[in-house]
Amino acid sequence: MQPISLDGASLSLASVVAVARDGVLVQLDADARARMESSCAWVQRAASGGLRDAEGRSLAVYGVNTGYGSLARVRIGDADISRLSWNLLRSHAAGVGPIVDPVTTRAMMLLRANALAKGASGCRPALVDSLAAMLNRGVVPEVPSQGSCGSSGDLAPLCHLGLVVFRDDADLAHESGSAWIDGERHSGRDAMKLAGIERLIPGPKEGLAMSNGAQLSTAFAALACWDAAQLVLDAEIAAALSFEALCGVRRALHPAVHALRPYRGAIACASNLRRLLDGSTLVDSLPDKVQDAYSLRCTPQVLGAVRDGVRFASDQVLVELNSATDNPLILLDAEGDNKAYSAGLFHGEPVGMAADHLKLALCELAALSERRIYRLTTGTLSARLPPHLVRGDRPNMGMMVPQTSAAALVSENRSLAWPASADSIPTCEDQEDHVAMSTTAARRATDVLGNSRLVVAIELLSAVHGVWARQDEDPNAVLGAGSAAAVAVLEDVLGGRRPSVIPAEDIERIDLALREGRIVRAVQQAIGPLEGV
Amino acid sequence: MLETVILDGRTLTPTALAKIAAGARVALDDDARARMVRSAAQVGDPAVVRGKWPFLREGERSHEEVVRAFVLGHCAGVGEPFSIGVTRASMAARVNVLATGSTGCRPVCADAILNLLNLDITPVVPSKGSVGAAGDLAPLAHILRVAAGFGGKIWQSGRPVVVDLTDKLVPLDLTEKEALSMINGATVTAAMAALATHRAERLLTTAEAAVALSFDVVRADLHCLSIEALEARGHPGAVNVARRVRAQLEGSELCGEGRRPDPFSIRCTPAVLGSAWDVLEWVQVVVTRELNGACDNPLVLNDGTMVEAGNFHGAPVASAMDQLKIVLTQVASIAERRIFRMTYGQLSGLPSFLVPGTGLNSGLMLAQYTAASLVSECKGFSHPASVDSIPTVQHHEDHVSMGPIAARGTLAILEALADVLAIELLCGAQGLDLQEDHGVSAGRGASQSRDVVRQRVRRWQDDQVLSPDLRAVGSLVREGAFAGGGGPW
Repeated sequence: MQPISLDGASLSLASVVAVARDGVLVQLDADARARMESSCAWVQRAASGGLRDAEGRSLAVYGVNTGYGSLARVRIGDADISRLSWNLLRSHAAGVGPIVDPVTTRAMMLLRANALAKGASGCRPALVDSLAAMLNRGVVPEVPSQGSCGSSGDLAPLCHLGLVVFRDDADLAHESGSAWIDGERHSGRDAMKLAGIERLIPGPKEGLAMSNGAQLSTAFAALACWDAAQLVLDAEIAAALSFEALCGVRRALHPAVHALRPYRGAIACASNLRRLLDGSTLVDSLPDKVQDAYSLRCTPQVLGAVRDGVRFASDQVLVELNSATDNPLILLDAEGDNKAYSAGLFHGEPVGMAADHLKLALCELAALSERRIYRLTTGTLSARLPPHLVRGDRPNMGMMVPQTSAAALVSENRSLAWPASADSIPTCEDQEDHVAMSTTAARRATDVLGNSRLVVAIELLSAVHGVWARQDEDPNAVLGAGSAAAVAVLEDVLGGRRPSVIPAEDIERIDLALREGRIVRAVQQAIGPLEGV
Repeated sequence: MLETVILDGRTLTPTALAKIAAGARVALDDDARARMVRSAAQVGDPAVVRGKWPFLREGERSHEEVVRAFVLGHCAGVGEPFSIGVTRASMAARVNVLATGSTGCRPVCADAILNLLNLDITPVVPSKGSVGAAGDLAPLAHILRVAAGFGGKIWQSGRPVVVDLTDKLVPLDLTEKEALSMINGATVTAAMAALATHRAERLLTTAEAAVALSFDVVRADLHCLSIEALEARGHPGAVNVARRVRAQLEGSELCGEGRRPDPFSIRCTPAVLGSAWDVLEWVQVVVTRELNGACDNPLVLNDGTMVEAGNFHGAPVASAMDQLKIVLTQVASIAERRIFRMTYGQLSGLPSFLVPGTGLNSGLMLAQYTAASLVSECKGFSHPASVDSIPTVQHHEDHVSMGPIAARGTLAILEALADVLAIELLCGAQGLDLQEDHGVSAGRGASQSRDVVRQRVRRWQDDQVLSPDLRAVGSLVREGAFAGGGGPW
């Protein structure tokens, strides 16, 4: 794949995934470089005392020649301007807890680089070049996952990155954080030496440029949004298999029905389900059944709302991916000498609320899926499927316990769905008196995503056993075109139509296939692209 | 030499379980062994659970096949594995349930697990997937799978691996009743709860040390620790907190009596920390009872009667854990407000962020952010897991406890609380050093706590990298350095 050009305007969720997960290379766009150079030149003038305020004093610019946060009241001498940034990176590297996974850390680095490429931060292009070189060479700093309020950005996590990127004259290993390269952990200094990337001595404002913005929150949220969009399709495939196994009633999916309450998500979900089930002889095969229980019949309503939620979150994240999130902003076109505009673009609220909504959506995706699993495994509800879906020639417990596992995951999701962004605790001597808690929201969204994917894996496992049971009963039963493709790939993943003697191992196999996108890929190969989120 | 803990089904404590989690050896008490022999003999018909799982018995299935399918069929756990400590604690706790002698298991069932514990063989057990109702079926089945020689992964040098354990296992020809009894109880929940209460006790004691330090830093008014005032209300936890914090402040010239009422994060410390102690005391009773209770079904009564009841249900411990989460979050929350106060120049009378010449230096500014973030995260984990229930197993297990989720949440909150207290202690030590520059001396306990911090972390002059200090004091907190030391986390 071509290297991705960072221009502060055109980063997509797909390119975040391509860089963070697949190692696609990045470079700074030429126009963006020029913009960065101009804003940087202005900051350097301000830092060297070359600009005056209305009273003729040397212009005070926040974070360039003042302290940070509530310490903005303190003026910093010109000689200490680089030290100011270095001190910020050191004293703000305040993370605790487990280390962020390398993929998310890479996404955070990419996002920060793209925010700087916007050209409003007043830092040197060299900072983006360094981040790009680290991404391209595979230097992954260790970033603790806990301790950020997401306002004024993910300060602590980004400063842990900053310790690796920058240095002072002393260049001490123990002040350089830590990083992985080629599978080994080193001090930041040694990792960068091995990578052949020169560490920068911070220029004016570059401490802020490194750290002001909710990029860790957004990195978690972006990857979760991307995965959620696929999980919605996987959940629709699972629902289709449950429709087959439970001999569902197709009328609930009719387009005319959904035209009467035209939510975009519901229309798309119903359309996908119709296509997945197209040609099925199991669906509508129980003449006495006029309608299904909610977990089948209301799938378009619930998964439709999930779709709408995932799309909302993704749209918000997409804005954030291509935003300047710094403070102050350098607006070169502004009137007057003072081009520095202090505002609040670093505040993580939009990302936090998006991540909280994403959690809620994924909770419901899993909750509905679990109820279908319950129905599939409950003899009195399943239109005579074997109790617990026990089948096959070896003694097994079927899906009795996996249904319990799904229930546990759904319940855990409900706890995790607590909206982190609804909380706020004043910080920094009441200067930062409302914070986003977006990092917590986004981390929890990732947790809920993982749980929900496992629930979908359990539904796929249960439903495929249900479908096999129907086929045992009636070898002439025909599956819908999409369902048939899903069953085929599941048979490959599971190693044939065997009973699930050790359910954990089968769930793990399907979970891996979901992570790799195998199931949705196979289905789309068979029936063409499903309608995405 | 490693300590040996004797499991007798009657006297297991959370602290002893924490030692086993950390590697202590284990043995079965002789009387408990005798009780187990007797109760197993009373079971008589090994197919006592005949009515259960008819589908396992269809066709010509040997007893061994049925047991094997039963154990493997319950291996349905998902997600990242439990730590070795939690797994070891769960194993020992289940043995202690068997040792009550009410479960109809032969001693060999206990020996098989004790053997693994004493050989440091730890199964890899997925941490998710139990609703803690008919017990922690899935996680206990993953343990039993290894013990019974039905495969499964174990930990080796931090990695999950499949190893041939044939020569190491105690041969275990399980009856159906035994297979059931080894997994049919909320014992993983109980084990986590025991570790949680053990840690909570350490952290509440640590919180008192941090409070005393903060009291000196903000030059608190000690009227709020008036024993008579607190006794007039009567909550024992509050009275005890006041006594102990007062003792730590003996000799303080920084604190005074009757100067002015302090803000709530100072003045109401006995109410908040005291209620946490009161709750913990109740939780310890519940958890200790659970560790030594017959958490199984069906039960073998003394006269040999078999009883089908609901002793496996995790509700008692689930509610206790949810309650503990709430008070621990309150302790973290009030600690954060003291951190806020200490780092807030106008409120503390000390330099902003506790470093002279702030401006070029940001000092401990971000430590307070980290505390705020952790507290907020605790609020999320405080959502009561036990208020939820999802029907399982064909309408049969139609109300479940969600105890394991409550207990895992408690452990997560304890980690966050440890770091919040570390931040309070770090800020407190820094603040006390600044106060003492004026030649005024601190309480003896407070001064001692500061010295403990200073063993690992030097006083801040100019800005430096903050996270190593947070980790260093965080380790001290977990090691019990502010709580009378000793013993694993």
